[in-house]
Amino acid sequence: MPADSQAQREQQVLETAMEAGHILLENGAEISRVEETMERITRHFGVDSGDFFVLSNGIFTTGGSASGRFARVEHIPVHGAQMDRVVAVNQLSREVEAGKLTLEETAARLKEIRRSPGKRFGVQVLASAVGSAAFCVLFGGSLRDAQAAFIAGLLLYCYVLRLSAPHLSKLVGSMGGGSLVSLVCVLLRTAGMGDSLSYMIIGSIIPLVPGVAFVNGIRDIADGDYISGAVRMLDALLVFFGVAIGVGFVLTVSSRLGGGAWL
Amino acid sequence: MHTVAAAFIGTVAFALLFGVPRRYYFGCGFIGAAGWLAYLVLEAAGLTATEATFFAALLVALLSRFAAVWQKCPSTVFLIAGIFPLVPGAGIYWTSYHLVMGELASALSTGFAAAKTAVAIVLGIILVFEIPGRFFHPRIRQM
Repeated sequence: MPADSQAQREQQVLETAMEAGHILLENGAEISRVEETMERITRHFGVDSGDFFVLSNGIFTTGGSASGRFARVEHIPVHGAQMDRVVAVNQLSREVEAGKLTLEETAARLKEIRRSPGKRFGVQVLASAVGSAAFCVLFGGSLRDAQAAFIAGLLLYCYVLRLSAPHLSKLVGSMGGGSLVSLVCVLLRTAGMGDSLSYMIIGSIIPLVPGVAFVNGIRDIADGDYISGAVRMLDALLVFFGVAIGVGFVLTVSSRLGGGAWL
Repeated sequence: MHTVAAAFIGTVAFALLFGVPRRYYFGCGFIGAAGWLAYLVLEAAGLTATEATFFAALLVALLSRFAAVWQKCPSTVFLIAGIFPLVPGAGIYWTSYHLVMGELASALSTGFAAAKTAVAIVLGIILVFEIPGRFFHPRIRQM
């Protein structure tokens, strides 16, 4: 193979691997999985020179031989986890390793995965509402509390999807979420819904709990990826604090205004 | 017992929220409910909340790894949703509540309990992910 086209192919392979890593990282995969998948893809397509360094929000790749060097840094901001894409890329990397796909097919499949639609707005909002109601019952609330948590969870995810996720920082977004939920619950309670304000709020703040960051942080630390693990744990901790501050703020103000009668 | 059903429904709802593919909903719900049931049983048997959470987290992580090998998909899919009933979400609320009410001692003790619960979950998950992949399936490569 002439040197030129070989360098070109190497570049293509590394770009494809990077695309796979990008999708995985963006959608809540652990660091070790991202590295492993990228290595698997490059090795299968015959490029042994690839080196990857993956952090929680960026991928550094170098590779190539004397005929052509490849180096790229990609910044990947964390956004909402879409597990189905992680599953899809994982499946794809198995097929690549089994020799079922050419490089071009792999790249095309990755593009498809990236374009795959997420869950619809209404479905997500409904899931948040149902989750809030279920966790309200789980933590000891009555069915009447669960009804109120359902409404609060519904409104909460409208806020998360339309305002908090696209426009606000993590900390402010979760403070706002905590406040919103508490405010809605206080209003519902004053209007006579539910039995216990506490359980209503507990149920409806659960959709704000940073489960993905928390679990991935643990797994990264277990794998020895301390930088990414620490960053993800910090991310989870900030959100926890933000929610607590938001809830506390509304509780204080409302207890001052109403004499704490409903608490 | 009705809270176990709530754990199932709640876990499935969060699986959906995290974009888990539909075919794994049942597994997620089952693992979430199993973790919560284990927690309830152990606590009733006399363990402290932290100890019960630790063993329940062990169970959730183990089941997630078995399910991952069986379904040939990343264990994260099951773990993230399944661990939710154990995460100290209520702890955040009570800490904040006691702080606001000026009950500093209660705020400290609930906050500390929430932190202990979180550490118990961390330990449970880390221990299970130390187990080599061969243990879960001799022939399929570790996920």
